[in-house]
Amino acid sequence: MKLSDPRIKQMIRQRSLYMCLECGKCSASCPRMTAGKEYSPRLLAQKIIAEQEDEAFIENSVWECLTCALCEERCPSDVEFSRFIVEMRALLAETKGLTGYRAHDGALHSWMRLMTSPELKQNRLGWIGPELRTASQGPVAFFTGCAPYFDVFFSGIEVDTLSIVRDSIRLLNFIDVDPVVLAEERCCGHDLLLTGDTENFKTLCQLNYEELKKAGVEEVVFSCPECYYVFDRYMPEIVPGYDLKATLLIDMLRTEIDKGGISFRPLEKRVTYQDPCRLGRLSNRIEEPRALVNMVPDLTLAEMENHGRSANCCGNSGFINCDAYSKAIQLERLKEVKATKAELLLTACPKCMIHLTCAMRDPVRRGSLKVAIRDMASLLAEQIEWSEEAQTRRLAKA
Amino acid sequence: MEPVKILGICCNWSPYASYNAAERAGIEMPANFRLIRVMCIGRINQALILRAFEFGADGVIVLECKDEDCRYGPGPEIGHTNVHRVRRLIDLLGIGQRRLVERSFFAHEKEKLAEAIWEFTARIEAMGPNSAKPSQEREAS
Repeated sequence: MKLSDPRIKQMIRQRSLYMCLECGKCSASCPRMTAGKEYSPRLLAQKIIAEQEDEAFIENSVWECLTCALCEERCPSDVEFSRFIVEMRALLAETKGLTGYRAHDGALHSWMRLMTSPELKQNRLGWIGPELRTASQGPVAFFTGCAPYFDVFFSGIEVDTLSIVRDSIRLLNFIDVDPVVLAEERCCGHDLLLTGDTENFKTLCQLNYEELKKAGVEEVVFSCPECYYVFDRYMPEIVPGYDLKATLLIDMLRTEIDKGGISFRPLEKRVTYQDPCRLGRLSNRIEEPRALVNMVPDLTLAEMENHGRSANCCGNSGFINCDAYSKAIQLERLKEVKATKAELLLTACPKCMIHLTCAMRDPVRRGSLKVAIRDMASLLAEQIEWSEEAQTRRLAKA
Repeated sequence: MEPVKILGICCNWSPYASYNAAERAGIEMPANFRLIRVMCIGRINQALILRAFEFGADGVIVLECKDEDCRYGPGPEIGHTNVHRVRRLIDLLGIGQRRLVERSFFAHEKEKLAEAIWEFTARIEAMGPNSAKPSQEREAS
């Protein structure tokens, strides 16, 4: 990296780093810092502006960040730290190669790069059973993301990410949407973007756009907040003439429920909810998921100590920095879950599910932090029903 | 016929002893076959096998010790798990399970090892190059 690169100056200005007051709120809230890691967003901001000769420090810090955006949530000067980090990584990768540490030795990034092949003939739809109604052409698509791959790769920790996409499609079917599920859908590329591999990220965006267009899709529905974030924020900047509408499944459900006729079967359970960074702070959906969960009668939503805008990260993002500090963050998070006395932990992102399930299996804790974990979509799919009156109306229509 | 690239990932102990013996005995190996020697197949994870495909291999053969023959203990069993999972992953990717195989050998099986490599090479040559290759070529880093 040449720190004299004019793009750095531009980033500093664009992401408001000059506005930093050095108050240190960012470092005090940073989950990695509070877990004990020698990493400080404040110091990084200071060094990149005033002490650029400390290249090693800057470089290490750029790869440390979880981009969970808790620092920018609390920053009084509105420094856009997570965007800054992602842009710095792209610059570092461009000049120094993809040197950042990647968890699982970069296996996930490998398959994402393999997906940039235009001649790819995937075999990814084996999980669609006869109980799900899907289409190959139509105006609305459901984006499954990497779930089929996660299920194989993480089969060792017994995490069922495919249940999330199955239950999401069940929910869509319930509201009479038979979504297009692409046979050649690629990864959204979020993790490549976070490792600085901009070129392959852009290729994936372009390929996904073309595949969706070929199927006549106008609106894409997501249950994974990372895929949504990419389609909502990055795709319009990358794909020329981008005209797809990105919708979160929870938003779509909410609209349908507001039309009336839908109710939920009661469930006597105490649950708690983990805010995914990219859904909560970065896409501003704090109340929406809670409102949906609260619609289930008899269900108690017990909040963790850090929740909503202050929610802690699941310890890892983009499969980059998994280490002892990530583990410490996850264990702390699980202790907060335990403190709520909830019987069930709800998540809304497959990655939160993977990381927290992995941490529950920590051999030193001997299962003391174990708690049932499910995606919100699965809970809703199980409890949703037509109210009696709506049911008769539907039957009459049919 | 288009040229294909075959990679062997070989355990340092029994299979490599066989490979070494085969070379010394003058047994010919396919020209498009490359070998990586590792200390134990238990050292290899899913990422390293996947990366071979990412970097352009058309077929990967994992050469390991017999289960009871591992110098360290669980090597081959770890290998079976990893190969099994990566086979499922490359099946999802459409590369095809048949492009990744594992074969186990004792230290004295030079003919068997050479035969296995030739057989696998012939299979991949018949299948042709793997079409699922990253659009941007990677250099080893």
